[in-house]
Amino acid sequence: MALVEIRDVRKTFGKVEVLKGVSLDVEEGEIVTIIGRSGSGKSTLLRCINALESVDSGEIWVEGQKVHAKMSDLKKFRQRVGIVFQAFNLFPHLKVERNITLAPLLTGRIEKAKARALAEDVLTRVGLADKIDAWPEQLSGGQQQRVAIARCLAMAPHLMLFDEVTSALDPELVGEVLKVMEAMAEQGMTMILVTHEMGFARNVADRIVFMHQGRVWEQGPPAKLFANPETPELASFIASAK
Amino acid sequence: MRSFSLIDFVSLFAALRWTVALVVLALLFGAPLALGLALGRISRFASLRWAMAACIQVIQSVPLLGLLFFFYFGMPVFLGIQVPALVAVTVAYTLYTAAFLGEIWRGGLEAVKQAQWEAGACLGLSAWQQFRHIIAPQALRLSLPPTVGFLVQLIKGTSLASILGFVELARAGQVVSAATFQPLLTYALVAAIYFALCLPLTLWSRSLEARLDGSR
Repeated sequence: MALVEIRDVRKTFGKVEVLKGVSLDVEEGEIVTIIGRSGSGKSTLLRCINALESVDSGEIWVEGQKVHAKMSDLKKFRQRVGIVFQAFNLFPHLKVERNITLAPLLTGRIEKAKARALAEDVLTRVGLADKIDAWPEQLSGGQQQRVAIARCLAMAPHLMLFDEVTSALDPELVGEVLKVMEAMAEQGMTMILVTHEMGFARNVADRIVFMHQGRVWEQGPPAKLFANPETPELASFIASAK
Repeated sequence: MRSFSLIDFVSLFAALRWTVALVVLALLFGAPLALGLALGRISRFASLRWAMAACIQVIQSVPLLGLLFFFYFGMPVFLGIQVPALVAVTVAYTLYTAAFLGEIWRGGLEAVKQAQWEAGACLGLSAWQQFRHIIAPQALRLSLPPTVGFLVQLIKGTSLASILGFVELARAGQVVSAATFQPLLTYALVAAIYFALCLPLTLWSRSLEARLDGSR
Protein backbone atom coordinates (compact mmCIF):
# COMPACT_ATOMS: atom_id res chain seq x y z
CA MET A 1 0.00 0.00 0.00
CA ALA A 2 1.28 3.41 -0.97
CA LEU A 3 1.78 6.08 1.70
CA VAL A 4 -0.38 8.49 -0.26
CA GLU A 5 -3.17 7.35 -2.57
CA ILE A 6 -5.08 9.91 -4.54
CA ARG A 7 -8.12 8.58 -6.41
CA ASP A 8 -9.89 10.61 -9.08
CA VAL A 9 -9.94 13.84 -7.10
CA ARG A 10 -11.97 16.76 -8.35
CA LYS A 11 -12.07 20.27 -6.97
CA THR A 12 -13.91 23.35 -8.16
CA PHE A 13 -13.42 26.94 -7.05
CA GLY A 14 -16.49 28.93 -8.09
CA LYS A 15 -16.91 28.06 -11.74
CA VAL A 16 -13.35 26.93 -12.34
CA GLU A 17 -12.65 23.21 -12.10
CA VAL A 18 -9.08 23.22 -10.81
CA LEU A 19 -8.65 19.46 -10.42
CA LYS A 20 -10.37 17.31 -13.04
CA GLY A 21 -9.91 13.81 -11.76
CA VAL A 22 -6.38 13.44 -10.42
CA SER A 23 -5.01 10.06 -9.38
CA LEU A 24 -1.55 9.61 -7.93
CA ASP A 25 0.27 7.22 -5.62
CA VAL A 26 3.32 8.10 -3.56
CA GLU A 27 5.33 5.33 -1.93
CA GLU A 28 7.03 5.59 1.43
CA GLY A 29 10.45 7.24 1.08
CA GLU A 30 9.66 8.46 -2.40
CA ILE A 31 10.35 12.01 -3.55
CA VAL A 32 7.76 13.20 -6.00
CA THR A 33 8.01 16.55 -7.69
CA ILE A 34 4.95 18.13 -9.25
CA ILE A 35 5.67 20.56 -12.05
CA GLY A 36 3.41 22.48 -14.38
CA ARG A 37 2.26 25.94 -15.35
CA SER A 38 0.55 28.32 -12.96
CA GLY A 39 -3.08 27.36 -12.57
CA SER A 40 -2.53 23.72 -13.44
CA GLY A 41 -3.76 22.68 -9.98
CA LYS A 42 -0.43 21.72 -8.38
CA SER A 43 -0.78 23.74 -5.18
CA THR A 44 -4.45 22.88 -4.79
CA LEU A 45 -3.61 19.17 -4.98
CA LEU A 46 -0.95 19.62 -2.31
CA ARG A 47 -3.37 21.50 -0.04
CA CYS A 48 -5.96 18.75 -0.46
CA ILE A 49 -3.49 16.16 0.80
CA ASN A 50 -3.46 17.66 4.31
CA ALA A 51 -7.10 18.73 4.19
CA LEU A 52 -6.45 22.46 3.93
CA GLU A 53 -8.85 22.21 1.01
CA SER A 54 -11.67 19.72 0.82
CA VAL A 55 -12.19 17.68 -2.31
CA ASP A 56 -15.49 17.77 -4.21
CA SER A 57 -15.26 14.14 -5.24
CA GLY A 58 -12.73 11.34 -5.21
CA GLU A 59 -10.66 10.19 -2.28
CA ILE A 60 -7.30 10.82 -0.71
CA TRP A 61 -5.76 8.24 1.59
CA VAL A 62 -2.65 8.83 3.68
CA GLU A 63 -1.16 5.93 5.65
CA GLY A 64 -4.37 4.01 5.07
CA GLN A 65 -6.51 6.78 6.50
CA LYS A 66 -9.07 8.65 4.45
CA VAL A 67 -8.40 12.39 4.48
CA HIS A 68 -11.15 14.95 4.78
CA ALA A 69 -11.67 18.23 6.63
CA LYS A 70 -14.06 16.70 9.16
CA MET A 71 -11.96 13.67 10.08
CA SER A 72 -12.14 13.16 13.82
CA ASP A 73 -8.38 13.13 14.36
CA LEU A 74 -7.52 15.91 11.93
CA LYS A 75 -5.13 17.46 14.46
CA LYS A 76 -3.24 14.20 14.97
CA PHE A 77 -3.19 13.67 11.21
CA ARG A 78 -1.73 17.14 10.57
CA GLN A 79 1.05 16.41 13.05
CA ARG A 80 2.15 13.55 10.80
CA VAL A 81 1.98 15.55 7.59
CA GLY A 82 4.19 18.64 7.53
CA ILE A 83 3.69 21.43 5.02
CA VAL A 84 6.03 24.28 4.15
CA PHE A 85 4.61 27.32 2.37
CA GLN A 86 5.95 29.76 -0.16
CA ALA A 87 5.51 32.64 2.33
CA PHE A 88 7.23 30.82 5.28
CA ASN A 89 4.42 31.84 7.67
CA LEU A 90 6.63 31.94 10.75
CA PHE A 91 4.99 33.43 13.82
CA PRO A 92 6.46 36.97 13.89
CA HIS A 93 5.74 37.55 17.59
CA LEU A 94 7.75 34.52 18.73
CA LYS A 95 11.47 33.89 18.70
CA VAL A 96 12.85 31.07 16.55
CA GLU A 97 12.96 28.64 19.47
CA ARG A 98 9.33 29.25 20.41
CA ASN A 99 8.26 29.09 16.77
CA ILE A 100 9.62 25.56 16.72
CA THR A 101 8.59 24.34 20.16
CA LEU A 102 5.09 25.87 20.35
CA ALA A 103 3.27 23.05 18.56
CA PRO A 104 5.24 20.13 20.06
CA LEU A 105 4.55 21.54 23.54
CA LEU A 106 0.88 22.34 22.99
CA THR A 107 0.16 18.98 21.40
CA GLY A 108 1.96 17.18 24.21
CA ARG A 109 4.59 15.66 21.92
CA ILE A 110 7.43 16.71 24.25
CA GLU A 111 7.87 17.99 27.78
CA LYS A 112 8.97 21.48 28.58
CA ALA A 113 12.39 20.39 29.81
CA LYS A 114 13.22 18.86 26.43
CA ALA A 115 11.90 21.70 24.30
CA ARG A 116 15.10 23.64 23.84
CA ALA A 117 17.07 20.51 23.00
CA LEU A 118 14.49 19.68 20.34
CA ALA A 119 14.78 23.17 18.86
CA GLU A 120 18.57 22.88 18.86
CA ASP A 121 18.38 19.50 17.16
CA VAL A 122 16.11 20.50 14.29
CA LEU A 123 17.89 23.83 13.82
CA THR A 124 21.17 21.97 13.51
CA ARG A 125 19.62 19.87 10.76
CA VAL A 126 18.82 23.00 8.77
CA GLY A 127 22.17 24.62 9.64
CA LEU A 128 20.80 27.41 11.84
CA ALA A 129 21.72 26.32 15.37
CA ASP A 130 23.11 29.79 16.08
CA LYS A 131 19.77 31.50 15.32
CA ILE A 132 17.77 29.85 18.11
CA ASP A 133 17.27 33.13 19.98
CA ALA A 134 16.67 35.32 16.93
CA TRP A 135 13.38 36.93 15.91
CA PRO A 136 12.02 35.80 12.55
CA GLU A 137 12.36 39.21 10.98
CA GLN A 138 16.05 39.35 11.82
CA LEU A 139 16.58 36.46 9.41
CA SER A 140 16.95 36.44 5.65
CA GLY A 141 14.23 34.84 3.54
CA GLY A 142 16.28 31.69 3.08
CA GLN A 143 16.91 31.43 6.81
CA GLN A 144 13.23 31.98 7.59
CA GLN A 145 12.29 29.21 5.20
CA ARG A 146 14.80 26.88 6.83
CA VAL A 147 13.30 27.69 10.24
CA ALA A 148 9.87 26.89 8.77
CA ILE A 149 11.24 23.51 7.66
CA ALA A 150 12.77 22.96 11.11
CA ARG A 151 9.39 23.81 12.67
CA CYS A 152 7.83 21.02 10.62
CA LEU A 153 10.64 18.58 11.41
CA ALA A 154 10.05 19.16 15.13
CA MET A 155 6.73 17.35 14.74
CA ALA A 156 8.57 14.32 13.29
CA PRO A 157 6.23 14.09 10.30
CA HIS A 158 5.96 10.97 8.13
CA LEU A 159 5.34 13.02 5.02
CA MET A 160 6.45 16.49 4.01
CA LEU A 161 4.69 18.74 1.52
CA PHE A 162 6.52 21.67 -0.02
CA ASP A 163 4.48 24.32 -1.79
CA GLU A 164 6.81 26.38 -4.01
CA VAL A 165 9.06 26.94 -1.04
CA THR A 166 11.78 28.76 -2.99
CA SER A 167 9.54 30.95 -5.15
CA ALA A 168 9.58 33.93 -2.77
CA LEU A 169 13.35 33.86 -2.29
CA ASP A 170 16.08 35.92 -3.87
CA PRO A 171 17.99 33.72 -6.34
CA GLU A 172 21.13 33.60 -4.20
CA LEU A 173 19.12 32.24 -1.24
CA VAL A 174 17.43 29.39 -3.11
CA GLY A 175 20.44 27.08 -2.87
CA GLU A 176 20.61 26.95 0.93
CA VAL A 177 16.95 25.85 1.16
CA LEU A 178 17.31 23.24 -1.57
CA LYS A 179 20.38 21.85 0.19
CA VAL A 180 18.36 21.28 3.35
CA MET A 181 15.67 19.54 1.33
CA GLU A 182 18.24 17.35 -0.39
CA ALA A 183 19.59 16.27 2.98
CA MET A 184 16.08 15.36 4.10
CA ALA A 185 15.61 13.37 0.92
CA GLU A 186 18.80 11.43 1.62
CA GLN A 187 17.53 10.59 5.08
CA GLY A 188 14.53 8.88 3.54
CA MET A 189 11.77 11.39 4.18
CA THR A 190 8.75 10.99 1.95
CA MET A 191 8.34 14.27 0.14
CA ILE A 192 5.92 15.78 -2.32
CA LEU A 193 7.00 19.09 -3.73
CA VAL A 194 5.54 21.63 -6.04
CA THR A 195 8.41 23.56 -7.54
CA HIS A 196 9.69 25.62 -10.43
CA GLU A 197 13.26 24.54 -9.73
CA MET A 198 13.82 22.20 -12.67
CA GLY A 199 17.41 21.50 -11.68
CA PHE A 200 16.30 20.31 -8.25
CA ALA A 201 13.43 18.29 -9.73
CA ARG A 202 15.85 16.59 -12.10
CA ASN A 203 18.54 15.80 -9.52
CA VAL A 204 16.63 14.88 -6.39
CA ALA A 205 13.21 13.60 -7.38
CA ASP A 206 12.47 9.90 -7.87
CA ARG A 207 9.54 10.81 -10.04
CA ILE A 208 8.27 13.88 -11.84
CA VAL A 209 4.57 14.50 -12.22
CA PHE A 210 3.61 17.00 -14.89
CA MET A 211 0.22 18.55 -14.29
CA HIS A 212 -1.67 20.33 -17.02
CA GLN A 213 -5.19 21.76 -16.99
CA GLY A 214 -6.13 20.05 -13.75
CA ARG A 215 -4.90 16.59 -14.75
CA VAL A 216 -1.80 14.46 -14.35
CA TRP A 217 -0.64 14.83 -17.92
CA GLU A 218 2.51 12.77 -17.83
CA GLN A 219 4.74 11.23 -15.17
CA GLY A 220 7.92 9.21 -14.82
CA PRO A 221 11.55 9.25 -13.71
CA PRO A 222 13.21 12.64 -14.28
CA ALA A 223 15.82 11.42 -16.76
CA LYS A 224 13.22 9.90 -19.04
CA LEU A 225 10.71 12.71 -18.69
CA PHE A 226 13.14 15.52 -19.39
CA ALA A 227 14.89 13.70 -22.24
CA ASN A 228 11.86 12.22 -23.98
CA PRO A 229 8.63 14.01 -23.12
CA GLU A 230 5.74 12.08 -24.67
CA THR A 231 3.30 14.95 -24.91
CA PRO A 232 3.79 18.23 -26.76
CA GLU A 233 2.51 20.11 -23.67
CA LEU A 234 5.36 18.78 -21.51
CA ALA A 235 7.89 19.36 -24.27
CA SER A 236 6.87 22.99 -24.58
CA PHE A 237 6.80 23.39 -20.77
CA ILE A 238 10.34 22.03 -20.47
CA ALA A 239 11.49 24.27 -23.31
CA SER A 240 9.97 27.33 -21.65
CA ALA A 241 11.41 26.49 -18.23
CA LYS A 242 14.96 26.39 -19.52
CA MET B 1 -21.21 81.00 50.11
CA ARG B 2 -17.87 79.88 51.39
CA SER B 3 -14.36 79.88 50.04
CA PHE B 4 -12.71 76.90 48.35
CA SER B 5 -11.25 74.77 51.10
CA LEU B 6 -9.83 71.39 51.92
CA ILE B 7 -13.31 69.93 52.26
CA ASP B 8 -13.99 70.69 48.57
CA PHE B 9 -10.76 69.05 47.61
CA VAL B 10 -11.73 65.98 49.57
CA SER B 11 -15.21 65.79 48.10
CA LEU B 12 -13.81 65.92 44.57
CA PHE B 13 -11.42 63.08 45.30
CA ALA B 14 -14.12 61.14 47.09
CA ALA B 15 -16.26 61.42 43.97
CA LEU B 16 -13.41 60.01 41.96
CA ARG B 17 -14.18 56.54 43.33
CA TRP B 18 -17.48 56.53 41.40
CA THR B 19 -15.66 57.45 38.23
CA VAL B 20 -13.24 54.59 38.81
CA ALA B 21 -15.99 52.20 39.89
CA LEU B 22 -17.99 52.85 36.72
CA VAL B 23 -14.94 52.27 34.53
CA VAL B 24 -14.10 49.05 36.36
CA LEU B 25 -17.67 47.77 36.08
CA ALA B 26 -17.84 48.66 32.39
CA LEU B 27 -14.60 46.79 31.68
CA LEU B 28 -15.37 43.86 33.96
CA PHE B 29 -18.56 43.01 32.07
CA GLY B 30 -17.90 44.81 28.79
CA ALA B 31 -14.50 43.35 27.90
CA PRO B 32 -15.56 39.65 27.90
CA LEU B 33 -18.64 40.60 25.93
CA ALA B 34 -16.45 42.56 23.51
CA LEU B 35 -14.29 39.48 22.98
CA GLY B 36 -17.42 37.45 22.25
CA LEU B 37 -18.64 40.06 19.77
CA ALA B 38 -15.24 40.23 18.06
CA LEU B 39 -15.06 36.43 17.73
CA GLY B 40 -18.64 36.38 16.47
CA ARG B 41 -17.77 38.97 13.86
CA ILE B 42 -15.00 36.77 12.44
CA SER B 43 -16.92 33.51 12.80
CA ARG B 44 -17.34 31.27 9.77
CA PHE B 45 -21.10 31.25 10.36
CA ALA B 46 -22.63 34.07 8.34
CA SER B 47 -25.74 34.32 10.51
CA LEU B 48 -23.63 34.84 13.64
CA ARG B 49 -21.53 37.48 11.87
CA TRP B 50 -24.68 39.33 10.84
CA ALA B 51 -26.25 39.16 14.29
CA MET B 52 -23.11 40.51 15.96
CA ALA B 53 -22.72 43.25 13.38
CA ALA B 54 -26.34 44.29 13.94
CA CYS B 55 -25.87 44.45 17.72
CA ILE B 56 -22.74 46.55 17.37
CA GLN B 57 -24.37 48.83 14.82
CA VAL B 58 -27.39 49.53 17.02
CA ILE B 59 -25.39 50.20 20.18
CA GLN B 60 -22.82 52.36 18.41
CA SER B 61 -25.59 54.41 16.78
CA VAL B 62 -27.28 55.31 20.07
CA PRO B 63 -25.65 58.14 22.04
CA LEU B 64 -24.31 57.01 25.39
CA LEU B 65 -26.78 59.39 27.00
CA GLY B 66 -29.57 57.61 25.14
CA LEU B 67 -28.44 54.23 26.49
CA LEU B 68 -28.40 55.58 30.04
CA PHE B 69 -31.86 57.10 29.62
CA PHE B 70 -33.24 53.93 28.12
CA PHE B 71 -32.12 51.58 30.87
CA TYR B 72 -33.09 53.91 33.72
CA PHE B 73 -36.13 55.86 32.49
CA GLY B 74 -37.20 53.93 29.39
CA MET B 75 -37.36 50.34 30.63
CA PRO B 76 -39.97 51.01 33.35
CA VAL B 77 -42.19 52.70 30.75
CA PHE B 78 -41.74 50.31 27.84
CA LEU B 79 -41.11 47.01 29.59
CA GLY B 80 -42.38 47.67 33.09
CA ILE B 81 -38.99 46.80 34.55
CA GLN B 82 -37.50 49.17 37.07
CA VAL B 83 -33.88 48.48 37.98
CA PRO B 84 -31.71 50.29 40.51
CA ALA B 85 -29.65 53.13 39.06
CA LEU B 86 -26.40 51.21 39.55
CA VAL B 87 -27.71 48.28 37.51
CA ALA B 88 -28.94 50.62 34.78
CA VAL B 89 -25.60 52.42 34.41
CA THR B 90 -23.66 49.15 34.58
CA VAL B 91 -25.72 47.68 31.76
CA ALA B 92 -25.48 50.85 29.67
CA TYR B 93 -21.71 51.23 30.06
CA THR B 94 -21.21 47.49 29.56
CA LEU B 95 -23.01 47.53 26.22
CA TYR B 96 -21.24 50.72 25.19
CA THR B 97 -17.86 49.19 26.02
CA ALA B 98 -18.67 45.86 24.39
CA ALA B 99 -19.73 47.45 21.10
CA PHE B 100 -16.74 49.73 20.72
CA LEU B 101 -14.05 47.40 22.08
CA GLY B 102 -15.59 44.52 20.14
CA GLU B 103 -15.20 46.39 16.89
CA ILE B 104 -11.67 47.53 17.74
CA TRP B 105 -10.63 43.96 18.56
CA ARG B 106 -12.29 42.55 15.47
CA GLY B 107 -10.14 44.91 13.42
CA GLY B 108 -7.04 43.67 15.26
CA LEU B 109 -7.95 40.02 14.72
CA GLU B 110 -8.60 40.52 11.04
CA ALA B 111 -5.34 42.40 10.59
CA VAL B 112 -3.44 39.18 11.41
CA LYS B 113 -2.92 37.29 8.17
CA GLN B 114 -5.16 34.31 7.48
CA ALA B 115 -2.01 32.31 6.75
CA GLN B 116 -1.10 32.52 10.44
CA TRP B 117 -4.23 30.53 11.36
CA GLU B 118 -3.36 28.08 8.59
CA ALA B 119 0.23 27.67 9.77
CA GLY B 120 -1.05 26.82 13.24
CA ALA B 121 -3.63 24.39 11.90
CA CYS B 122 -0.97 22.64 9.82
CA LEU B 123 1.06 22.00 12.97
CA GLY B 124 -1.91 20.18 14.50
CA LEU B 125 -3.08 22.95 16.83
CA SER B 126 -6.75 23.29 17.72
CA ALA B 127 -8.67 26.41 16.71
CA TRP B 128 -8.51 27.67 20.29
CA GLN B 129 -4.75 27.06 20.50
CA GLN B 130 -4.27 28.92 17.22
CA PHE B 131 -6.28 31.83 18.60
CA ARG B 132 -4.69 31.86 22.03
CA HIS B 133 -1.03 31.47 21.07
CA ILE B 134 -0.75 32.79 17.51
CA ILE B 135 -3.55 35.18 16.61
CA ALA B 136 -4.50 36.88 19.90
CA PRO B 137 -0.98 38.05 20.86
CA GLN B 138 -0.46 39.63 17.45
CA ALA B 139 -3.96 41.15 17.42
CA LEU B 140 -3.47 42.50 20.93
CA ARG B 141 -0.43 44.49 19.92
CA LEU B 142 -2.23 45.90 16.89
CA SER B 143 -5.31 46.80 18.95
CA LEU B 144 -3.54 48.34 21.90
CA PRO B 145 -3.46 52.02 20.86
CA PRO B 146 -7.17 52.19 19.91
CA THR B 147 -8.09 50.15 23.00
CA VAL B 148 -6.39 52.63 25.31
CA GLY B 149 -7.89 55.45 23.27
CA PHE B 150 -11.31 54.01 23.98
CA LEU B 151 -10.48 53.61 27.66
CA VAL B 152 -9.75 57.31 27.89
CA GLN B 153 -13.11 57.99 26.19
CA LEU B 154 -14.80 55.71 28.70
CA ILE B 155 -13.26 57.49 31.69
CA LYS B 156 -14.56 60.81 30.43
CA GLY B 157 -17.86 59.21 29.42
CA THR B 158 -18.61 58.23 33.01
CA SER B 159 -19.44 61.89 33.64
CA LEU B 160 -22.80 61.23 31.98
CA ALA B 161 -23.79 58.97 34.88
CA SER B 162 -24.30 62.15 36.88
CA ILE B 163 -27.71 62.58 35.25
CA LEU B 164 -28.89 59.45 37.04
CA GLY B 165 -27.73 60.90 40.35
CA PHE B 166 -24.21 59.46 40.57
CA VAL B 167 -21.94 61.96 42.25
CA GLU B 168 -18.87 61.13 40.24
CA LEU B 169 -16.09 63.53 39.44
CA ALA B 170 -17.97 65.84 37.04
CA ARG B 171 -21.08 66.02 39.23
CA ALA B 172 -18.97 66.67 42.33
CA GLY B 173 -17.38 69.52 40.40
CA GLN B 174 -20.82 71.04 39.83
CA VAL B 175 -21.68 70.74 43.49
CA VAL B 176 -18.42 72.26 44.68
CA SER B 177 -18.62 75.02 42.13
CA ALA B 178 -22.16 75.91 43.25
CA ALA B 179 -21.13 75.95 46.89
CA THR B 180 -17.97 78.00 46.44
CA PHE B 181 -18.88 80.18 43.47
CA GLN B 182 -15.45 79.37 42.07
CA PRO B 183 -16.33 77.57 38.83
CA LEU B 184 -13.06 78.31 37.06
CA LEU B 185 -10.89 76.97 39.84
CA THR B 186 -13.17 73.98 40.46
CA TYR B 187 -13.49 72.88 36.86
CA ALA B 188 -9.79 73.43 36.24
CA LEU B 189 -9.17 71.08 39.12
CA VAL B 190 -11.69 68.55 37.77
CA ALA B 191 -10.02 68.70 34.38
CA ALA B 192 -6.61 68.21 35.97
CA ILE B 193 -7.86 65.10 37.78
CA TYR B 194 -9.25 63.62 34.54
CA PHE B 195 -5.95 64.40 32.87
CA ALA B 196 -3.99 62.77 35.69
CA LEU B 197 -6.18 59.70 35.30
CA CYS B 198 -5.76 59.39 31.53
CA LEU B 199 -2.11 60.33 31.07
CA PRO B 200 -0.62 57.30 32.84
CA LEU B 201 -2.84 55.06 30.71
CA THR B 202 -1.46 56.54 27.53
CA LEU B 203 2.10 56.27 28.78
CA TRP B 204 1.54 52.70 29.94
CA SER B 205 0.08 51.83 26.54
CA ARG B 206 3.18 53.17 24.82
CA SER B 207 5.58 51.18 26.95
CA LEU B 208 3.45 48.05 26.59
CA GLU B 209 3.40 48.50 22.84
CA ALA B 210 7.16 48.67 22.79
CA ARG B 211 7.42 45.58 24.98
CA LEU B 212 4.97 43.51 22.95
CA ASP B 213 6.88 44.52 19.87
CA GLY B 214 9.86 42.50 21.01
CA SER B 215 11.17 41.87 17.52
CA ARG B 216 11.76 45.53 16.67
